[in-house]
Amino acid sequence: MKYWYGSLLIAVIAITGYISCGNDREPTPTVRTADPAEVIGEDLMISLSKAKNFHHKARVYMSDGKPAEAIAAVREILSLKFPAGAPEAEDVRNDARASLAKLLVGQGNVEEAMKVVTEGIAQSQRESFFVANLYTVKGEIHEARAALLEPTDPNVKVEKRAAIEAYDKSNQINTVLQQRLMEER
Amino acid sequence: VNALKENPMATDDDDILTGPVPAPEVEATASERMRAKSFGELVDKTLTGRTPPAMSADDRALLEVATVIRAASGNVELAAAKRRSIVEDALRQAVGDVAAKTSGAAIPITRARKKWVPWAVAGASALVAAAAVLLLWLRGPERIYVQGGGDVAMPEHWKSRPTDPLIGPIAQERAGDASARIDAIYADRLDGYRERQLARGRKP
Repeated sequence: MKYWYGSLLIAVIAITGYISCGNDREPTPTVRTADPAEVIGEDLMISLSKAKNFHHKARVYMSDGKPAEAIAAVREILSLKFPAGAPEAEDVRNDARASLAKLLVGQGNVEEAMKVVTEGIAQSQRESFFVANLYTVKGEIHEARAALLEPTDPNVKVEKRAAIEAYDKSNQINTVLQQRLMEER
Repeated sequence: VNALKENPMATDDDDILTGPVPAPEVEATASERMRAKSFGELVDKTLTGRTPPAMSADDRALLEVATVIRAASGNVELAAAKRRSIVEDALRQAVGDVAAKTSGAAIPITRARKKWVPWAVAGASALVAAAAVLLLWLRGPERIYVQGGGDVAMPEHWKSRPTDPLIGPIAQERAGDASARIDAIYADRLDGYRERQLARGRKP
């Protein structure tokens, strides 16, 4: 009788040990639950939805011949609150700045447009196609500035040189990013 | 007496069962009394368990009849050894000891019961349950692992991430077309959001 109980106890311990230790080939998983800031959450979707609606609203205003209202709508995007650390936030804001700058240039408010673009470039945490787009718009603004000057004004060359530098910077960023994406794929 | 009269050569050794039957009112003879007395003693010996090893066929037949008549009266008690043997046989059959049943050997009831069987079943069940609890405790609950933090990666499209791969380089003539780009970004992130919510068993 005692032998029978002893054998049963040994068998149970052996089975338990085998199951719990049998997967030693797999590394012990690091317990790390998903960080809410890293996943697409409801807050991010709401912010993106608002940004989308403001862009559509601006487009409607522009089609209705109301550029001032369109500019105001796009400015609303810059004040939207996104989840902390969401990369989409910087991209959406930079794109809104590019669109806003284009609208401002269209209204002849070149300096304000340059300010919007410069702030966007300065606040960017990483290089992206949207930053490259800001440099493109910055080049357009420099061209607009040059066009507003007298042809004999020496600042014309300065503005045109600045425009070329902005376009080159945009191309440089695009090239690096495209190369990086190709390598990741 | 009549039979003796009819057959003067008959003796007491003749078969009384096959011989002529005397009339009821006829007085018993001395030999008949002697035979009755000796048969009574034989019956007494049989009831006390001292049956003689040898007896005549007539006496054996009469003894069987007497035993049946006594048993039918309802006052028969079995010997203690016989009673114990019958009870143990019945209990052994109830326990299911086929081997013992077929052999016919009487096994003491204390051995035939197998008291350890229910304890063994209960003990084995308790050990298995303890092993299962120990196993659950060692393995821990299932968890979702984030890419870079574990070996099971969360799908990339569930995560908040830069939109460069989705948008690509922006052409100069489309520099101000942010409306179309935000549409693409929103649709892409909505797909990931919905899929993650459905995977978690919740409605988006």
